[in-house]
Amino acid sequence: MTAATTAPAVGKESLPDAGAAPAARVRNLRKTFGNVVAVDGVDLDIPAGSVLGMLGPNGSGKTTLIRMLLGLTRPTAGRVELLGRDHDLAAALPDVGALVEGPGFHPFLSGRDNLLRAAATEPRLDGDPRGPVDAALERVGLADAARRRYRGYSLGMKQRLGLAAALLVPRRLVVLDEPTNGLDPAGTRDVRRVVAELHEAGTTVLLSSHLLAEVEAVCSHVAVLQHGSLLVSGELSSLLEAGAGELVVTTDDPAAGVVALRAAGAGAYHRDGGVVVPAGTLSPPEVVAALVRAEVGVWEVRRDRAHLEELFARLTEEDA
Amino acid sequence: MTATLPAPSRAASRSHAPLSRLVAAELRWVLRRPRTLVVLGLLALIPVAVAIGIAAAGAPESGRGPGLIAQVAGNGFVLPVVALGLALTLLLPLAVASAAADAVAGEAAAGTLRGLLISPVGRMRLVVMKSAGVVTVAVLAVVIIAVVGMVAGTVVVGGPGSLITLSGTTLGFGEALGRIALVATWTVGQLLAVGAVALAISTLTEHPLVVLASVLGGMIVFGVLSAIPALEWLRPLLLTTGLTAGTDVLRDPLPLDGLASSSLRALVYVVVGMTITVVRMRRRDA
Amino acid sequence: MRRRWVGAAGAVVAAGAVAAGVVGIGGTAAAQPQLPPVSPEDLVASVMTAQPGPFNGTVGIDNELGLPALPGAPQLGNGSQSARIWSGGDGKGRVALPSGEGEKTLVSDGTTRWAYDATERTATRSTGGAPEQKDPQSDPAGAATQMIGELRRTSQVAVDGTAEVAGRPAYQLVLTPQASERTLLREVRVAVDAEKRIPLQLTVLATGSATPALQVGFDDVTFGPQDPSLFTFTPPPGITVKDAPAREGRPDDRQGPPPGTRTVGDGWDRVIVAQRPAQQPGQEQQRPEGAPDLNALGSPVSGPWGSGRLISTAVGTAIVTDDGRFAAGAVPEQVLTEALAR
Repeated sequence: MTAATTAPAVGKESLPDAGAAPAARVRNLRKTFGNVVAVDGVDLDIPAGSVLGMLGPNGSGKTTLIRMLLGLTRPTAGRVELLGRDHDLAAALPDVGALVEGPGFHPFLSGRDNLLRAAATEPRLDGDPRGPVDAALERVGLADAARRRYRGYSLGMKQRLGLAAALLVPRRLVVLDEPTNGLDPAGTRDVRRVVAELHEAGTTVLLSSHLLAEVEAVCSHVAVLQHGSLLVSGELSSLLEAGAGELVVTTDDPAAGVVALRAAGAGAYHRDGGVVVPAGTLSPPEVVAALVRAEVGVWEVRRDRAHLEELFARLTEEDA
Repeated sequence: MTATLPAPSRAASRSHAPLSRLVAAELRWVLRRPRTLVVLGLLALIPVAVAIGIAAAGAPESGRGPGLIAQVAGNGFVLPVVALGLALTLLLPLAVASAAADAVAGEAAAGTLRGLLISPVGRMRLVVMKSAGVVTVAVLAVVIIAVVGMVAGTVVVGGPGSLITLSGTTLGFGEALGRIALVATWTVGQLLAVGAVALAISTLTEHPLVVLASVLGGMIVFGVLSAIPALEWLRPLLLTTGLTAGTDVLRDPLPLDGLASSSLRALVYVVVGMTITVVRMRRRDA
Repeated sequence: MRRRWVGAAGAVVAAGAVAAGVVGIGGTAAAQPQLPPVSPEDLVASVMTAQPGPFNGTVGIDNELGLPALPGAPQLGNGSQSARIWSGGDGKGRVALPSGEGEKTLVSDGTTRWAYDATERTATRSTGGAPEQKDPQSDPAGAATQMIGELRRTSQVAVDGTAEVAGRPAYQLVLTPQASERTLLREVRVAVDAEKRIPLQLTVLATGSATPALQVGFDDVTFGPQDPSLFTFTPPPGITVKDAPAREGRPDDRQGPPPGTRTVGDGWDRVIVAQRPAQQPGQEQQRPEGAPDLNALGSPVSGPWGSGRLISTAVGTAIVTDDGRFAAGAVPEQVLTEALAR
């Protein structure tokens, strides 16, 4: 697989617990449906303890990748490793909570009865399931509607119930496929709170979305998929810093600025009347110091995140 | 979150929920499904309707009437046998097919099959659990018709407390009960054949109605094939061929040939149906 | 991807093979049993003296006679039927004729005979008319020789190998018409149980067809003591009990043809020519509902003998003339018209 290596020069992320095995790992993962390539040779690590946002427009292969990760679909080729298990995915599944492709429940049962049925199939649950079920309902803010039939739930309530099912027992990995679909702003906030709580408790979270803002708000890591290929993956902060962290200097005399900065060892160049300093050469204080020494007036030095945003924007535009 | 549930050690180490708990949850789900309850209620009406019809029409003098139903007059213990025979032509197979349709295709359509597999419920355990649900519906449906039939036959039709066979002999209460139990067991066997095939179809589709339509269409096609003289060689293979063998329990001495051969045929259907179900469930995407 | 379907297909084929075995469509190529040779005379003589003792079994009837479909008597049309029979071996017997939704039961305890029709819920009792007894054969061997001699004037009689019928080894007695006989029949086979010497199967083959026109025989048979209660009948409560009309005049039927009846020819091409009794007033009303109206059957024919309607079947032909004569035989139409013309 080449996507990761041909992606913009992204430094391999350094996790706090870099020595730990990843919560999930896929290698050269490929899935075709007839002639359609849904996932095209993806290599991806989901570091333990991270919140990884998988970004990409609809149809980019996010859901198919997640389904293969959970054993719902057989890969055409490649390898999946889940919580350290690669042959017997099912053995890892008790510790995985998931909300995939929208919530699935029976309309004739109440939300609570639906969760009780789900609880009966949870290997990690023993004894009376009512406690955990009620706790999960409380956690997603559905306690009041718990005894109403699922048939009458709004889209947001259905989504919350799906989240509750993923949270029935303590998990090591929680997979949320477009969790804020159909949620109002309050619901979106609740999802973010739950994700933050999970992260705090050390649970790895894999969250797919087509919204950059959502990923930026909650994720420590990000992976970008397009046409089934992985474009970028890594720690969100490093991607913002390194991948697109060029400095844009606004100055009285761009020509003098470029000369001064090149003399200082940075590959600076003109753009739109400003001076651009590519990432990875000089740090911002060094840039400012070099310009001051050359007596070039500095109005503004800022990080340009346009590169990453443009990438995301381009991807999300294909959505429409 | 971690604080909410101190998981016991046994649960912490196992990778599947206990099978008994899965089956219990499945049965609870099956028996709470409104469709199941409506179907079982409708089936209970069959013997009641026949009993009321016989009581209202009075005992026909010559005994001439539509087939076996005339045998019920003054001979209440025939009612469960007749009601089972009537229901087996269409309604019982559809009831079982409906349960099988909901079992896999219905879960897939509702999106709940994913949840079961992620839990995880092992795929073979899922087959066991789903089969248990279908078997339960088949047994319940037959038991309801048989019991309601006996009650209605005794209360509404009345009778000598014994069973007059088609051969003109009279069986005592105990033997009559034995005959009813035999036809009930045999009927369950035939329904399991329908259920296994329906379950196999259910694993091949995400639309429960496809299962119902297939079973209904299959029964009709089998009926047509049986009626074509040139295809007589095909008859031993058709499930519908033996569906009338239940009447044999009303003959004396009891002929077992028809019951045995149709049960063997049903067994073959069960083997084929379950083989397809297992193969498909092992591979099925959810 | 393809492997799984191969696996599934393999499983289905295996199950199908089991199915074929279970329901017996694979066909059983029964080897011909090895039996000591026997002459037709000895075989017939042994049948005449056979004392098979009590037995029960199932008799199957495969009817391909090609009789016209009679609305009132569908059981005569082509098809298969079976009957269960029990014999006490001493004139007692029981026959059950199951139908889809009913059954006819015949019970004889040796003196009283009952016929119970479950659909009609009617039991009919008849007494007297002692059960058929075999004529006491003082000299069965002689009688058999005489009978075979009689048959040989028009037929070839042979014991043609052996067969297995209802799981029992049997001799095949075969009667074939002599070349001079003008008949629709090709062959009549009787399978005789090698041990018990009772006929197990009768097969009638017509010319121009490989499948039997009629086959009556045991599908299974078991010799041994039978439950005595099988040969008594107690009418159950709530049914109609009738007494059959007295059977006077019946013996005449057996001893000779009724007046107005004559036979033309002998052997296989024997034709019966009869005068239908004059219609009595009200007879039309007596014809049971749905019973066939013979005048509407067959196709019209005419000739020097007059005109009438021709009814053809696989094994026989009948002509009902418009002036009330009747001719029938296991012969082609031409033989009938010749007989009528005489």
